[in-house]
Amino acid sequence: MHAQFRGHENDSDVIVARGLCKVFHTTKRRPGFAGALKSLVAPERIEKTAVQDVSFNVSRGELLAMLGPNGAGKSTTIKMLTGILVPSAGEARVAGVVPYEERERNAARIGAVFGQRSQLWWDLPARESLNILRDIYGVPRSEHRARLREFDEMLELSEFWNTRVRHLSLGQRVRCDLAAALLHDPPVVFLDEPTIGMDVVAKEQVRQFLRYEVEQRGRTVLLTTHDMTEVTRLAGRVVLINDGRIVMDDSLEEIRRRFGGTWQVHVTFVDPYAANHLDGDSSLAGLRIVRREGPRVVFGPDEKHAPAVHEALKRITQRYQISDLALEQNDLEDVIRVAFQRQKLHEGADVPPSNIAEISAAGVHER
Amino acid sequence: MTVHAHVAPSGTSRVATGITRYWGIARITPLGELLAPPRLSANALRLGVQIFLVVCLWRALYAQTSHVAGLTREQAVTYAVLATLAGRMRILDRRYGRDTVLQHMHFGTVIYWFLRPLAPRRYYVLRALGDQVYGFTWALVGYAICLWAGAVSLPSSTASMTAFVVSMLLGQMILYHVMQLIDLTCFWTLHNSAALLILQFIQNLLSGSYSPLWFFPDWFNTMSSFLPFQFTLNVPLSLYAGIIPPSDAIQQLCFQGAWVVGLALLTKWLWRRAARRIISQGG
Amino acid sequence: MTSIREAVKHVSENRSISRSWRVTWQFIRLNIRSQMEYRVNFFMSIAIGAVWQVSIVVFAVVLLTRFPGMGNWTSSEVLLIVGMRMLSHGLYVLFFGRIFELSSLVQEGRIDTFLLRPLPVYRQVQLAFFPANAVGDLAVALCLFVDSLIRSSIEWSPGRITFLVAAILSGMLLEAAMFTALSSIALHFPTTSYWSTWLDELMGTFGSYPLSILPRAAEAVFTFGIPLAFIAYLPAGVLSGRSATLGVPESLAILSPLAGPTAFIATRLLWNHSLRRYPGMNS
Repeated sequence: MHAQFRGHENDSDVIVARGLCKVFHTTKRRPGFAGALKSLVAPERIEKTAVQDVSFNVSRGELLAMLGPNGAGKSTTIKMLTGILVPSAGEARVAGVVPYEERERNAARIGAVFGQRSQLWWDLPARESLNILRDIYGVPRSEHRARLREFDEMLELSEFWNTRVRHLSLGQRVRCDLAAALLHDPPVVFLDEPTIGMDVVAKEQVRQFLRYEVEQRGRTVLLTTHDMTEVTRLAGRVVLINDGRIVMDDSLEEIRRRFGGTWQVHVTFVDPYAANHLDGDSSLAGLRIVRREGPRVVFGPDEKHAPAVHEALKRITQRYQISDLALEQNDLEDVIRVAFQRQKLHEGADVPPSNIAEISAAGVHER
Repeated sequence: MTVHAHVAPSGTSRVATGITRYWGIARITPLGELLAPPRLSANALRLGVQIFLVVCLWRALYAQTSHVAGLTREQAVTYAVLATLAGRMRILDRRYGRDTVLQHMHFGTVIYWFLRPLAPRRYYVLRALGDQVYGFTWALVGYAICLWAGAVSLPSSTASMTAFVVSMLLGQMILYHVMQLIDLTCFWTLHNSAALLILQFIQNLLSGSYSPLWFFPDWFNTMSSFLPFQFTLNVPLSLYAGIIPPSDAIQQLCFQGAWVVGLALLTKWLWRRAARRIISQGG
Repeated sequence: MTSIREAVKHVSENRSISRSWRVTWQFIRLNIRSQMEYRVNFFMSIAIGAVWQVSIVVFAVVLLTRFPGMGNWTSSEVLLIVGMRMLSHGLYVLFFGRIFELSSLVQEGRIDTFLLRPLPVYRQVQLAFFPANAVGDLAVALCLFVDSLIRSSIEWSPGRITFLVAAILSGMLLEAAMFTALSSIALHFPTTSYWSTWLDELMGTFGSYPLSILPRAAEAVFTFGIPLAFIAYLPAGVLSGRSATLGVPESLAILSPLAGPTAFIATRLLWNHSLRRYPGMNS
């Protein structure tokens, strides 16, 4: 399965990555003192391909989530797109500028937050850091004040922006970092696992803020994350990356449809005998009856032509009168896992035997 | 929805923005200290006590002799006090603020240096400049107080004073380049905190901050004359105290100038390599 | 032991004591082994420990070869102070030095972890890592100490030797006591680390010299304010036969080796008290 990228780029594509590759050359570390000396005198170089042939586009006002296990190449890709790393091959363009060639020009138009790394000055109050950044980016004072007020409304910064950064909690610091990244009103924002380690309430606040920035302010955001809730709440499109390659690039709905096949709808009919007359109902094509217990029926998707779960719901409720309804859907994590495993299978990678049964059951799994 | 492009500022306002920007960056370390009055007063107290005790020490040493290794009591005490004051210009402790290059590399926050519309090297230079100017203000105030209290005496002639001022300037430039070189090595290896400490000690020893180099054996001084360290402190202070007569000043200043130029070229080259390394390894 | 029950309790207590010391020894071995993994850094740390002390040695030796003495102390007598102080300090760093790093341990949250383990927190702090630099420190200190003994003209009787040993151990405990007291405050106020650094600096600079070179007021501060005099100055003075001119009553000088254990016990109690009220890392 090749990575599909959205055809050719058009004018509204703000972030364009084409065939990005990055190979790291490091010297092998040999253990022990003699080894250290040997490494100095006769180093053995090893090559590590972190990213291979990564291509995707992000259009204006879109939030793209990049998912992948640790070491998949997410951070490396982001570093190439922000101009920190120069790719070994391929090209990238952000808002029309090649980031690693015109670093300073690009820097004025992007904002970035790298999870667990703060760009604020540790020893100064957060507000001072923001003022210094205002001066570095050349933001007019009135604009700066207005923007801070806006951030304060959504992120409640004024509660702690006079505290030194070293005394802030993680949630507070990340919120300040977000404000710092958006201070100069960049059209493009890169977020590398920004909410890692934060508590649920703070995460939700950040998500709402991001949604506002994307929907109301039209910013383009590339977000890498492990957090499925984040993906569900924020992303319209998802790129799956593994071992430096893109596994999949599709909208969330599409991915769910292809790999999130398993859902179950628990229905209780008003008419206790309706359950007996379900077979042969054409409107229920594509639905499989998993279980029947008197008036309670559990529907699942059929192998072929299975509709999405909301479609199934519509059909059932249009046709029958029901008194109770419950829905079970694969959560996104399972969906993604299946997607990765299918990918591995397609590529002929070794799949441990315990997973084969799971995969061959084509996504149907017992809860 | 959008982002309107900033209207390009006119000539003078561009200069003004530039100045605000540089001023904002240069004052970062001092600001951290100034916003904490307890830390500020603690530093003042430390400096005061150190100077007081240094004066007592040297006066006691000279209690039974008047000339040692060619230095009189006044010269030795003046040297020691000035060396202590100059200590404020040598290193501002950024470790507490997690702001040393080594710490930035360790925590990975150095990538943000490359995400701003400002060359990393210029940022580094501005920070170093800000720190030195701040340290210099401290040293100047301290000098005035010591002069008033009689802990130091003025140089014997204006020639000495001029030679001292020029020499100190050159010496600070040498020191700044040496510190920069040391910081730059952090871009290559992180496991060098021990080596850095040793380097710092060597630097302090050989520059004459612990004691005037005139008291060290000759072989030691010959060895250290091949290194730039003695030119950062020992030479300027000796010019001030008259240990090096003004007639020899020109020669010393030339040596200093040569070191400044050589080190400046070295650091410039190394910065380019360092930036290239970050860009290929990702920080 | 008046009953079997008490005897059993005594035995099981002893077993748990020996178990806790066995665990302690395990910790030490693990620490050493984990530090040895970075061989280069380990040996560098030892080197740093040595090199840091050499600065004092160089300073002291150079001054003493150029000057007849300090105050009315001869060079060899001053050398005895230096040697005793360095040895006490080296032993302190080896056995108790980690208490100096308490602020960073608090910040890293390790004290919170220590509170959950069945070993005394104070001991766990000491076991937090192995001080490779102490090895270098002690090596230099021993050399200097032995050299000072050789140069001294003291008649060594068994009484004097016991006094010497007691004084050195007392010096170690006294320095530990001072930093334990500061660390007890650091548990609640992290900025105390600044004062710890200052104290360390002060003691390093002035602990090695006869305090008679300072004006009376300063001498009093260093005797009764910060008990620096008790570490090496007073005991060395007694051994050199100057117990009458040390600025304190003669009996106090002779009893100076008792200062260390007393202070240590007192500050340990303070530590326990402070630890009980420890609010945790993020407050």
